[in-house]
Amino acid sequence: MGERVFITGVGMITAIGDNVAQNLRSLQAQQPGIGYTQYIDTIYQSILPVAEVKHATATLAAMAALPNGGEGFTRTTLLGLIAMREALANANIEDASEVGFVNASTVGGMCDTENVYFDIVDPSKTGSFLQYVDTLDCADCTQRIADVVQFQSHISTISTACSSSANALMYGARMIKHGMLEKVVCGGTEALTRFTINGFNSLKNIDKQHCKPFDHQRNGLNLGEAAAYLVLESESSVKRNNSTVLAELSGYCNTNEAFHPTSPSPDGDGAYEAMQKALAMSGRQLNEVQYVNVHGTATLNNDVSEGKALERLFGSKVPKFSSTKPFTGHTLAAAGAVEAIFSVLAIQHSLIYPNLNFSERMEELNISPETQLLENYTVDNVISNSFGFGGNNASLVISSAQL
Amino acid sequence: MLNKCYIQATSAISPQHTFEGEFHTQPFVASTRNLLNVIEPNYSGFISPNNLRRMSRLLKIGQTAALKCLVGSEFPVPGAIITGTGKGSLHDTEKFLKNIREYEETALNPTPFIQSTYNAVNGLIALQQKCTSYNNTFVHRGFSFESALQDTLMQLQEGVESVLVGSFEEMSEEHFYIKGRIGHWKEGATNETFLADNQTTGSIAGEGSAYFLVTAKPASRNLAVIEGVEMVYKPTTEQLGNRLQKFLAQHGNPTIDVLLTGENGDANFAHYYQYLHQQFSPSTTIIPFKQLCGEYDTASSFATWLATEILVHQSLPLSLQAYNTASLQNVQHVLIYNNFMGEQHSFILLSK
Repeated sequence: MGERVFITGVGMITAIGDNVAQNLRSLQAQQPGIGYTQYIDTIYQSILPVAEVKHATATLAAMAALPNGGEGFTRTTLLGLIAMREALANANIEDASEVGFVNASTVGGMCDTENVYFDIVDPSKTGSFLQYVDTLDCADCTQRIADVVQFQSHISTISTACSSSANALMYGARMIKHGMLEKVVCGGTEALTRFTINGFNSLKNIDKQHCKPFDHQRNGLNLGEAAAYLVLESESSVKRNNSTVLAELSGYCNTNEAFHPTSPSPDGDGAYEAMQKALAMSGRQLNEVQYVNVHGTATLNNDVSEGKALERLFGSKVPKFSSTKPFTGHTLAAAGAVEAIFSVLAIQHSLIYPNLNFSERMEELNISPETQLLENYTVDNVISNSFGFGGNNASLVISSAQL
Repeated sequence: MLNKCYIQATSAISPQHTFEGEFHTQPFVASTRNLLNVIEPNYSGFISPNNLRRMSRLLKIGQTAALKCLVGSEFPVPGAIITGTGKGSLHDTEKFLKNIREYEETALNPTPFIQSTYNAVNGLIALQQKCTSYNNTFVHRGFSFESALQDTLMQLQEGVESVLVGSFEEMSEEHFYIKGRIGHWKEGATNETFLADNQTTGSIAGEGSAYFLVTAKPASRNLAVIEGVEMVYKPTTEQLGNRLQKFLAQHGNPTIDVLLTGENGDANFAHYYQYLHQQFSPSTTIIPFKQLCGEYDTASSFATWLATEILVHQSLPLSLQAYNTASLQNVQHVLIYNNFMGEQHSFILLSK
């Protein structure tokens, strides 16, 4: 039902680049963004590698071109604003008042709040830190971004853990199909925090080395920070405005595994169903998928589950697949949008990205990820996966633009 | 415009006697301070003892209210689970922050981190009911429940038969203190006094969870109909009025029998409510609802639950008898207007 939904603008900032072009260059140069944090105050500073955006928060404020110097803006918001400005410019949107905004976040402004939290709760302390009282929740970054770029139509925020921005893209696409919006910017923003580093570390999910998705010796993820937004536009708006189309969001599906609060099922039931239904919606056949940008966190459970789901869905003909998390780290709420943009770039530039750090196939699987950068490789349809806590599975199908 | 939906079951855990027995004839529960906590039910009929030990307060509240709504209904495994929460589990967030500091980032128990995830309640409901279909959580202050409701109407229009839609919110003592530091609460007020004083700023804090099992087509119970939801971000009063007129026009300009308003006693936001009052004729009975539930991000879900009660009973519950209701009969349409901190404004229209 409804109109086709096209992608007419992209913007991003990750550990491998401050904009989309820089991200593409790093992917092609096979240069990962993983290192040690310069900005988080943690005992794991030189122990747990992370994919951090290589700018101090004050620098980000300047990059976000804020008139007030960014006072009271969290790192989450600033990352988001930088990516948002690029996405709007890329789509030639000057007046955003009629454009919707669906944002995603997992811990809101925790990156800044956690540094002042114990002052905030201490009655004997007062000071400028009180301006961060209201920045913890996920709506803070959404509204600050909306107010700066003047979104006045629909705004909302989704939080479904690591699938958050994939769900934001889905929700925006559905609003277009329902005729509620013609254009909507969807994606997510996520800053590194001591809170999430310790959260995933307490779950024993963080590798002390660079992560090795789909490798037999994989030992967990590396966290990252990023913001990424995609401008979605209805087919009729594209035609009326003669918009430049980058790709089509041709299919999507959200399922729940109902298996375990934090672990996927060993056979990948939820991942299988999400991919299968998203592809069915796109109207594409299995053999028309040239690339799967896997969730591929490199945790023990995810990669078995997702690999099994790929084998179940594609049988002996699993297309090229790779995880780009060794480049960007796992950027949680931003991951779905980051990888959706990488999927667009794969189509536009005929690329398959290498799954870095892979050397040994998992014994549970008969498949291995692509380890080489493939150029001049025609890509028309990509499946992009994002799976989260609470059994939340989201798959997107991104297709070459054919009006 | 989205189609309407039919409410087949509801549940609410709130500071009033909404969870067990007949709310309609229960007395008003007065507060002794400017914070209203929910009356916590006996969870043991809903959650196993093993799970209860591990679960934090909001997870228990959110899951129990959800199960009450689903169990015994025509649709124990709904076609989608969609929720809204502004803050998620505050106790877990606070606990994990403190554990990080206290134990200097070592040997941490991951449970509060997992439970602080905003979609943790959704995952538990899906797990308990083996519900493998669409599952989403909105986290946008005073648009959280409204967005969940809009997503619900979209899902139903896309062919899903039934949806569990709801919200869950808690107020911890610590967060109550924090928000007090930026002037959110009215000093010395209770839920019997805060509305009378709208010359000063601040309101009274609240919390609660409410769920609705809704269907695209009429089913066995059809307690009430949700006609539509409208969200307006940071409007002027004039813009708000225009959006109200447009919203009502989209629904055939019904006569509004009851207007439930989110008036919260805060002088900063009183002008919105005063303006809204002027938009309705004296035949509309206007009743505030936050004396029952307090102020919180998803208080409009409580109002939606209350509106359903009024439509089912065709009269006001005992706890609202203080409002003149002599003329209240044949209630066909109830409109809810709420705003959260003056930023997220919403209308929800229900009918019999």
